[in-house]
Amino acid sequence: MTGHGEKSRPSKKIKLSNKEEHRPTPVDAEEIDFGDDPDEDSRYDDRIVKKRDFTRLELKPDHMNRPLWACADGRIFLETFSALYKQAYDFLIAIAEPVCRPESMHEYNLTPHSLYAAVSVGLETETVITVLNKLSKTKLPKEMIDFIHASTSNYGKVKLVLKKNRYFVESPFPEVLKKLLKDEAISRARIFPIEVGSQGNDSFTISKTMGEIESGHQELLNGVDVAAAAEEKETHSFEIDPAQVENVKQRCLPNALNYPMLEEYDFRNDTVNPDLNMELKPQAQPRPYQEKSLSKMFGNGRARSGIIVLPCGAGKSLVGVSAACRIRKSCLCLATNAVSVDQWAFQFKLWSTIRDDQICRFTSDSKERFRGNAGVVVTTYNMVAFGGKRSEESEKIIEEIRNREWGLLLMDEVHVVPAHMFRKVISITKSHCKLGLTGLHYIQICGLLYNLQIFLSAYIWTGLHVSATLVREDERITDLNFLIGPKLYEANWLDLVKGGFIANVQCAEVWCPMTKEFFAEYLKKENSKKKQALYVMNPNKFRACEFLIRFHEQQRGDKIIVFADNLFALTEYAMKLRKPMIYGATSHIERTRILYAFKHSPDVNTVFLSKVGDNSIDIPEANVIIQISSHAGSRRQEAQRLGRILRAKGRLQDRMSGGKEEYNAFFYSLVSTDTQEMYYSTKRQQFLIDQGYSFKIITSLPPSDSGPDLSYHRLDEQLGLLSKVLNAGDDAVGLEQLEEDADDIALQKARRSVGSMSAMSGASGMVYMEYNTGRGKAGQGQIKSKPKDPSKRHVLFKRRFG
Amino acid sequence: MVNAIKGLFISCDIPMAQFIVNLNASLPASQKFIVHMLDNTHMFVQPHVAEMIRSRIAEFRDQNSYEKPA
Repeated sequence: MTGHGEKSRPSKKIKLSNKEEHRPTPVDAEEIDFGDDPDEDSRYDDRIVKKRDFTRLELKPDHMNRPLWACADGRIFLETFSALYKQAYDFLIAIAEPVCRPESMHEYNLTPHSLYAAVSVGLETETVITVLNKLSKTKLPKEMIDFIHASTSNYGKVKLVLKKNRYFVESPFPEVLKKLLKDEAISRARIFPIEVGSQGNDSFTISKTMGEIESGHQELLNGVDVAAAAEEKETHSFEIDPAQVENVKQRCLPNALNYPMLEEYDFRNDTVNPDLNMELKPQAQPRPYQEKSLSKMFGNGRARSGIIVLPCGAGKSLVGVSAACRIRKSCLCLATNAVSVDQWAFQFKLWSTIRDDQICRFTSDSKERFRGNAGVVVTTYNMVAFGGKRSEESEKIIEEIRNREWGLLLMDEVHVVPAHMFRKVISITKSHCKLGLTGLHYIQICGLLYNLQIFLSAYIWTGLHVSATLVREDERITDLNFLIGPKLYEANWLDLVKGGFIANVQCAEVWCPMTKEFFAEYLKKENSKKKQALYVMNPNKFRACEFLIRFHEQQRGDKIIVFADNLFALTEYAMKLRKPMIYGATSHIERTRILYAFKHSPDVNTVFLSKVGDNSIDIPEANVIIQISSHAGSRRQEAQRLGRILRAKGRLQDRMSGGKEEYNAFFYSLVSTDTQEMYYSTKRQQFLIDQGYSFKIITSLPPSDSGPDLSYHRLDEQLGLLSKVLNAGDDAVGLEQLEEDADDIALQKARRSVGSMSAMSGASGMVYMEYNTGRGKAGQGQIKSKPKDPSKRHVLFKRRFG
Repeated sequence: MVNAIKGLFISCDIPMAQFIVNLNASLPASQKFIVHMLDNTHMFVQPHVAEMIRSRIAEFRDQNSYEKPA
């Protein structure tokens, strides 16, 4: 599987006159790492290559009709051409993590966390095993059955339910509750119902809850006895003191009693918080996958906290707005920056019947307040988590946010928010239900944490502990899983493409050879800091870029975004080609003006963006991306940029497979050959390749007959450009150093946050960031500085993977 | 009178030629191996350096290619 979709690079022709054949030296087995985000790489950690012997697996006689292979090591392979694919996919995505999803064969991995997520959406251990066994071509390996049992025995048995603003610990198993009550902290927190009095400590309130309404997996279970799941179930519960909730939750964590609690909000029976009168407009028709993700969230008539993963452009905001409309209580919506705050407010008004005075935006520029006793507030993470001194006005608003009980906490782009900020936001705001939305592969968010948690759970849980005064800062622990909730749904990209819901993107890597002069400078040792500038400013690349812009503007009438991380290159390209550009220092007003022109003017068809455009700048019109430089090997950035053009365009029937247009969006990555960029580029593509995309390689751009039509045709022009690059200071040619605006959350993890000193000196609001560009390392040739040698793996991990 | 030197004729693309030129320039005078640059893509070098050039180029190319860790 791992090699699927990966292109092989043809060997460069090196002809030596003696007849000896050129043999490529075997590539070093160690992984070469350029200092990318550690959690991006970690997903590969658990995939030690080992010859596994599957010959002993027993095929079932009717294996032809069954869609998947289950292996003893927890990996599951799904044939997408099987008749049962759709059902099997829905099931697998609920219980396992997708590793790689090319066109005909998917790879999944069963992890304790994915099983936790499965249990939390209402699947039971036996159901998981039975369905898996039904779908598998082979007899389910005993190891896998044991693994499922071991991982799920305690999960999902206990729920924390907020009913009529009283907290209940609920479980269908009275013996579990008894066990919990043996714990001193929990029994102290218990509140006895007044009318029952002292009828005995071990009696619980017994109530009926609705079973799972959703029947998705039951069609697979025909014949198996699942009657219990559909009927009402008896649950036992006891009430706890709201002040002690945090304590009780902690006692239930794996390092203590090991019954992690699921959180549910019984919003229909919440009579304390006022209802918000809003409904979806009739024209808001959720698509099938949006319905499905919502049904996972509201599966049992209550609202579950969790994360929904949909590719960018697949309509995350409609899912968010629909969820808010179902709960119909006050909603706090958190976005990453001021632009997306505006967009969220717009989406709420677009899809729902909410009145203008019921929705307000709270950013550093606009401080609105809603009238009435319920409403929607759209703000940024930074505004809520900000630690410094605020203006009187925003202090008042934030106080209101703090004191209110929110029905829904809607969190956008959860993958970019640092963990400490999450903890802060969650500790400040009281919300009954949290919904996280993200466009990225779930495994990338939690990454290594899956593995860490199994062994170091105690450590992690203490890392999550939030007390009123001290937020423990530990950047390595970024566990959304327990801060927000488990993953509720994740869509398959290629299925959405086939359904015409997102654009069918032609991805291409354009190989631009370095010119003689630029490459000569690139090789010189004294230019090691300018390498990036040299390969980005390669005249052949510039010409290819110019050619592509012309082609798409003139021949197809497309709207084009050009991405460049390197500010020097961004400015040079944009100036030379006379196109508007947006980068960190561009003011909000200027940005809005440029974007408006781009959207509405027929004369402005191309816009240059620095990495400020990776997230959240919403440009639905664009359908071509040209990437001229990028942040090292970041797979996340690549996917986010692709997401800018994923929104489907044109008529549905043209987009469906077999429709008129094969491709309706284009993603070009321009790469200077023979440079480090080749390495980064291949690495960056991995994520998209795992989603089933393939990259086409173009080597002949611009066409050789384009000649002087394009810039930098003549040698003296090229040399002029070269001296410009060489004379620019090292700082100028480096990556853009964003000065963060008060509402923005940028991509990078390494950051200096506001310290108390700056707050005291009146410099609050100025937040500086540091980037770990990885350039230093790469430039000095210490490329193999981080070998991932399996033998050096920590003993704990060896035990699991070895 | 005709002088004959035994050597190696290399034909490659422009960037690789620059790579070899750069390699040549980085060596001390006694070890310089390029006998004559014929044009941007062809050169004539001393016969014993074939292996060295080959391994240097392989090394350089390895640095620039990414292998998905298995």
